[in-house]
Order: sequence, then C-alpha cells, then structure tokens
Amino acid sequence: MSQHDRGILSFSDLKKPLNKVVYGIMVLGIAVMVVTMLYPILMTMFNGLKTNQEVNSFPPHFFPQTWNWGNFSEGWDYINLPMFLKNTILIFVGNLLMTVLVLGLASFSISKLNVPFRRGIYFFILMTLFIPASSYIIPNFVNLKELGLLNTYWAFWLPAGASAYYFLLMKNFFDGIHPEIFEAARIDGASELTSYVRIAVPLSVPIFATLAIFIFSTAWNDWFWPSLVMHSEEKYTLATAIYKYVINARSMDNNIKFTILFMVMIPPIFVFLVFQRFIMRSVSLSAVKG
Amino acid sequence: MGEPATAMLKPEAKSEPAGRRTSRWKKHLWGYLFILPAIVIFILFLWVPIIKGAVYSFFTIDFVKGNTFVGFDNYARVLHDPDVWTAVKNTLYYMFLTVIIGFWVPIVASIAISELRFFQGFARIAAYLPFVVPGVVLYGMWRWMYDPVGPINGLLSSFGVEPVSFISDGRWSMISIVFMETWQQFGSAMLIYLAGVLSIPRDWYEAAEIDGAGVWNRIRYITIPSIRNLIVLMFILQIIGTSQAYQSQLALLDGGPNNTTLTYALLIVKYAFNQLDYGSATALGMLMFIVLSLLGLLQFKMNKEDY
Repeated sequence: MSQHDRGILSFSDLKKPLNKVVYGIMVLGIAVMVVTMLYPILMTMFNGLKTNQEVNSFPPHFFPQTWNWGNFSEGWDYINLPMFLKNTILIFVGNLLMTVLVLGLASFSISKLNVPFRRGIYFFILMTLFIPASSYIIPNFVNLKELGLLNTYWAFWLPAGASAYYFLLMKNFFDGIHPEIFEAARIDGASELTSYVRIAVPLSVPIFATLAIFIFSTAWNDWFWPSLVMHSEEKYTLATAIYKYVINARSMDNNIKFTILFMVMIPPIFVFLVFQRFIMRSVSLSAVKG
Repeated sequence: MGEPATAMLKPEAKSEPAGRRTSRWKKHLWGYLFILPAIVIFILFLWVPIIKGAVYSFFTIDFVKGNTFVGFDNYARVLHDPDVWTAVKNTLYYMFLTVIIGFWVPIVASIAISELRFFQGFARIAAYLPFVVPGVVLYGMWRWMYDPVGPINGLLSSFGVEPVSFISDGRWSMISIVFMETWQQFGSAMLIYLAGVLSIPRDWYEAAEIDGAGVWNRIRYITIPSIRNLIVLMFILQIIGTSQAYQSQLALLDGGPNNTTLTYALLIVKYAFNQLDYGSATALGMLMFIVLSLLGLLQFKMNKEDY
C-alpha cells in the first residue's frame, strides 16, 4: 500500500510543522500499539524458556538469563498432548468434511439447480442466524444428551452441518460462478452430482480454504463447549485439556505452564503467518459483504 | 466469459425442453437430494433445540425421572433471584465498558494505519496477530500480565504506583477483562474498517484539500461519513455479541469476586451446570431471546424510517 501517492494527507501537508508533529505522534502511537500487541506473545515465549525462579522474580525480565530448551520436552510430557491433539484434529477433519458435503451440496443446489421452493428453504436456513446462540445453548446440550450423542465425536460432526453462516458464504460464492459452465456440462451429459464434484468443487477451492481456516480455528480454540459435551478425559480437545489441566492447575511450575501455552499458540500463528494475505482479505470481505 | 453469451443462454435454461415429459419431481430429484441432509441436520440440531428452549422453560428437567410441567414456576423463580438482577446490571456495565474502552480503538487505528507510508503491512499483521491466539492461551497469558508481580505492575511500580490486583479486585476485574478482550479482538475489526477507509477515492481528499479543508476536516467530513454505515453495523454486532459474553468471565474469575463479573449468559451456564436446573436456565435463555428480538425489531423499525 506504500505505493499510493496520497492518503488523507498529501505530501505538501507533511511539510507544515504542525502536521509533522501530529503525524509523528500518530506514528509513535502505532509503534506503541505494535509493541503492546507483540509484548504479551513474546513474553509467553520467553517465559517458557526461563527457569521457574526467574519467571516468578519481580520486576520481570524480558529475555531469559539462561535459555532452558529442556522446558519443551518437560511441557510435552506434562499432559498427554498427542492424544488431545489427535482429538482436535479428528473434530477438525470431520467438521470440515460435513461442511463441504452437507452445506456444500445444499448451497450448490439452492444456488445453481433451480429447485422449486428454494427461497423458502433459503429462508428456513437463514432464519437461524437471527436467533442469539446463547439463548439455546442449554436446550442444545439437553438435546444432544437426549439423542445419546454426548461424549461422542458425532456431537461435533453432525451439528457442523448446521451453520447458516458457512452456508451463506458458500452460496454467495456459488452465485458468482457463471451458470453457463454448468449448462455446458449438462449438454455434455454430466449429472448434477458430477457437476458438483468435477466442476463446482475444483472452482471453489478459495471458499473451502476460507472455511477450513475458520473451522480449524474453532476446533483449536473452543474450550467451553467441548468441556460440556465430552466428559471423559481421553476425548478432550486440546483447548479443553489445557483449560482443565494447565490454566486451572494449582501447583504447577509457571515456566512449564508458559512453555505449554507457547506450544499451543504456535500452530494457529504459523497458519496465520503463512496464509496472512489470504486470511486478512477474507476477514475484510466477509464483513463488507455481510 | 462474455456477458452477452450468458444473456443468450439464460432464457433457454428456463424453457426446459425435456421437462414437459418427465415429472417435475423427478427432474428436481437430485436438487432435493442435495438439500435433504442439510434440512434434516438444521431441524435436528438447530430448530429442535430452539423450539425445545421455549418448551423446556415450562418444565423441570430430570434426566432420570422424566420432565414435569411446572407452568411459569421457572420464570417466577429466576425473576425472584437477586443474582439475575446483579447479572443484568453487570452485563450492561460490561457492554458499556466495551464501548468506552474498545469500540473506538479499531476506528482510530484503521485511519492511522491507512496513513502509514512504511511498514503498513507489518502494522496490520501485528494488530491482527492477537486475534489468532487461542482463548485458553489468552487467559494464561493475561492472568500473568495482570499479576500483582507481573509486567503491568512492574511498569507501574517504576512510576512509583502501588501494585494493583487487576483481577481479584472487584473494582478492576471487569475493566481488566474488557481491556484483555480489546487487546485480542480489535485487530479483526480494524481490518474491516481499514478495507472501508482504503476504498475511499483519493480524489475526494484532493478536491477537499484544494478547497482549503485541513487534515482534521478531511477526516471529519470525508473519512468518517464514508465508513458511517460500517460503524453502525459494527456497533450493532458488538452489542449483540457483548450482551451474550461469558467465557472470559468464567475462565478468569468464575463470576467472582463477589459476583462482580457474573454476566447474564454466565448465570445461564451456572444455573444449568452448577445447579443442574436446566428448566430455569432455558427460561433465562428465553427471556434473553425476547429482549434481544425486541431490540432487533426496534432497530429494524428505526432503520426503515431512515431510508
């Protein structure tokens, strides 16, 4: 963005001394903001490399005096991270598959197949967006219990197909694909299923990638709902396990706590840094459109 | 992909030459088959809970002995519970704080960052980075930041200020939570505003400058009005979101100290999972649904008069 020739300020503005001072203060403010944003994250990382005494000393140092890389293996063994990781990945993959299969097919059908009553069905799905989620969180739990789904992965996989927001995102995307592509496929003898699998899905990689990132961050971050639905330890997701055994731990070395927190933070930050252009574009697009 | 080609194909697509012979049902068989799973799942996992929410609020829920109808008893019970009124007050206080502390930050930040000539991309990434930090990490991180011997008090003590227990002191706890959440979430709102600010045509500023408008007037009369709709939308979304908040309050303080961070949604959760009174919890949920729908209707009406 540095290539645009002017913003609110022009170059002649910046030659006036008062504007120069204000602009300088603004840049300083942004610098303070950047430091405030990065400091707690870096502090978590460095605290995880300190000795326990150093973490508890006051006032805190930023850089560790000794770099204790052994904290990582200690943190890795503190709780059964691989098992919780596996549960989280299972939920992520299942949710993604359900979204692509159930919501993808439905939004494709609504968008491109001209079924009768599609406006009614569309409305039926979209209505759920206007009902505040926390007003039915308890009946939702009771409902899962009555269906006998508690403590199973199905309690995550099946409801993953009931997201009106993801449905809307996909329908908007399919609406943007030219219908003539599907007309041509039909003339060539493709069935509806073939049109979806062979044409719509390959064209929709960007929207599926956006959804994959959303679903990943939900699966990775959500700690409260899984702690209600899964009540045996070997089914906990990573976030739930961290909440129960690390955040609420009473007697635990602070440095190891930070090592574990840092390890949990790495994958989402890594995903973000790799796909940052793509993610930031979809954040601003999803809101401007919605 | 020329537009004329589409325009020519469109009427043909609707005239359905083969459709006359096969029945309408058979023709759309695949279309319906594609939608069917979604409809079943939406009914089973969204509409049933929503409707059950209304039904259960009139029942005592007992998983062993079965549910019994109790009329308006649940509503009477929650309306006589002083905690409910504390929770309503706390939720309003929390919503007020998020507006005072948090709402303006992304607007100012987006305008400032849009004016950066260098490192604009870096500032954007840095602002958004906390948003990808998982909630549980956030709680552990900030519990330590706010600690009486943590970095914030370290900074304060270098100015000679007495240590403050930001979390366990009831006067500070809600403010601390709002500050923490602002730190985490303003980046995503900032990106949305930034997209709006950057889409304002540069010529408008050029023209205003030639007409003698100063920098402040350009922001006041061009930038802010251009993103006004976005600001209103974000405000409504924030009100809807913050009125239902409970996770940070639950994770950091469990509603304490002395119920100062007990929000309405947290009380719903506590009714259900601490007292196992699912009936009263759904009654609270219904009351919240009614209030939010009325607000939504009001907003809709006001919007209609606007245009």
